[in-house]
Amino acid sequence: MTSTWTSRIIIGLTLTFLIGPFFIIIAAGLSAGDFLAFPPEGLTLKWYIKVFEVESFRDSFALSMFLAVFGTIAALMLGVPAAYALSRYKIPYGETIKTVVAAPIIVPGIIVGLALLRYLVVPLSFTITLALFLAHTALVLPYAVRVVSSSLNNLRSDMEEAAVLLGCSRIGAFFRVVLPNIQSGVLAAFILGFVTSFNQVPVSLFLSGPGVRTLPIDMLSYMEITYDPSVAALSALLAFMSVVIVFVAEKFLGFSRYV
Amino acid sequence: MSDAFVSLQNLSLAYGKTVVVPDLNLDIRKGELIALLGPSGCGKTTTMRAIAGLMSLHGGSISIDGIDMSRTPANKRGIGLVFQSYALFPHLNAFENVAFGLRLKKLPKSEIASGVEAGLNTVGLSHLADRKPAEMSGGQQQRLSLARSLVMQPKVLLLDEPLSNLDARLRLEMRTELQRVQRDTGITMVFVTHDQSEALALADRIVLMKDGLIEQLGTPDDLYNRPETAFAADFFGFENIFNVSGSIITGPQGSAPINFKAVDGHLAWRPGAIKIGNGSHQGTVRGVAFAGEQREYVIDCQLGQIKASVSADEPAHEIGTSIAFDLPKAGALSILVT
Repeated sequence: MTSTWTSRIIIGLTLTFLIGPFFIIIAAGLSAGDFLAFPPEGLTLKWYIKVFEVESFRDSFALSMFLAVFGTIAALMLGVPAAYALSRYKIPYGETIKTVVAAPIIVPGIIVGLALLRYLVVPLSFTITLALFLAHTALVLPYAVRVVSSSLNNLRSDMEEAAVLLGCSRIGAFFRVVLPNIQSGVLAAFILGFVTSFNQVPVSLFLSGPGVRTLPIDMLSYMEITYDPSVAALSALLAFMSVVIVFVAEKFLGFSRYV
Repeated sequence: MSDAFVSLQNLSLAYGKTVVVPDLNLDIRKGELIALLGPSGCGKTTTMRAIAGLMSLHGGSISIDGIDMSRTPANKRGIGLVFQSYALFPHLNAFENVAFGLRLKKLPKSEIASGVEAGLNTVGLSHLADRKPAEMSGGQQQRLSLARSLVMQPKVLLLDEPLSNLDARLRLEMRTELQRVQRDTGITMVFVTHDQSEALALADRIVLMKDGLIEQLGTPDDLYNRPETAFAADFFGFENIFNVSGSIITGPQGSAPINFKAVDGHLAWRPGAIKIGNGSHQGTVRGVAFAGEQREYVIDCQLGQIKASVSADEPAHEIGTSIAFDLPKAGALSILVT
């Protein structure tokens, strides 16, 4: 009896900490007052509407979308072949390469951001958009390699040999036999990469410049000037978007298998 | 040999620096069903992979139908391989699995359809054309894999342990199936197995391998009744093997006289050739197992352990009792040491 109650309390507290903030921002965004406040002072939808009227939000949303979609696609174009090579061939220092590829997951984003700014953007005078694109690609790459690797490891390699003996080239076998069988893993990697990139703050913080900002950075700077509930409303919308994406992915792909 | 269809000459194969097959010479005739037989690690699978082109040669050559294929890539050799795990394509249904190779040949649609139809028919799977491999039984998957290779009309069909994943009843069915397909198509088949009974039942000739070398090559009758080495004898059921010199045989524990003269070398008996109950040798029953028609004994004696099997109709001997037995001249296999 006691242990059931103890575990219920622990689960309850965990959920409160995890999901509680979500409800707070939803409510704060509904507040009728002019300042961010919780509990809300009256109810209105005007802040949720205002989000779509702020021009900088629209621009930064477009940039974030661009980075999340194309950064992730670029990461997959590098990551899928890398994962394939690591799982199928005996590569010298393969284990080391795996660790290095995973490094951005381990190294704090703030360090990655600073390093990219100091040693790539400033000396090579990259444009900010290019720098952001490269940074997001690099950030998503480890997830791409990891998730695709795990679905490749579940795929028997004799299938490719069978395809070759039926007349395929090695590359043909990859496209005709391997790719169709790991496509849900690739899609899972894409979704994970997309969400990671879209919500990324520390690296983007260093690489954002005048007029070029990702959405989370734009929200930070908006708050420095205007402390109205529209930021809460926007946060709630973004959180909702992530939840929907992951929910759909779980429903159709069994997303949690890959992550 | 002029009638060689597949010819392996001085073939040597290695994984990195580890040489698995040092120097193999083998000629396979057209339309023959050959078994590569041996314990795991004897190089039989490696040899098969080399014939398929899935492994590059360390030395020597492979020629098929008079053409040197040593450097020909696997997808240009025209060789079929039925994998032990079947290696079917899980995302394709039975029809598309069989059509895979035909589509790569860019055949017209109608020809592909009729080819697949015929292929599925041959293995009795026409009614399951829409099924995915995961929705089929092990035996059906095996036959699908066979059909997928057969429709390509390969010059040689290789089969890796074709019966080992099947249960006893399906094994017999598949064995019959393979023999029928072989007779109908006249295709040259090479199959790899570690099971001597499979090799005996299926093959025209058996290549017994050990440590990458051919231990003995011959018909099932040759290998079963006239094994030429102690290893071959042991592999084909002569489980009691002793050194012989004059009229004295020596086992791992000690020596004993026999009551006939043998040529120096080895003497071997199958368990069924040993008479128990009376005879000039004495031992203690260490183990007894009932095996239907037979009762199998393990007997400790001054030579070491003896394995004997006698008709289950005869009275059983308890474990621990002492027992007399005979190593008769009839049924003794003499092996010369070269």
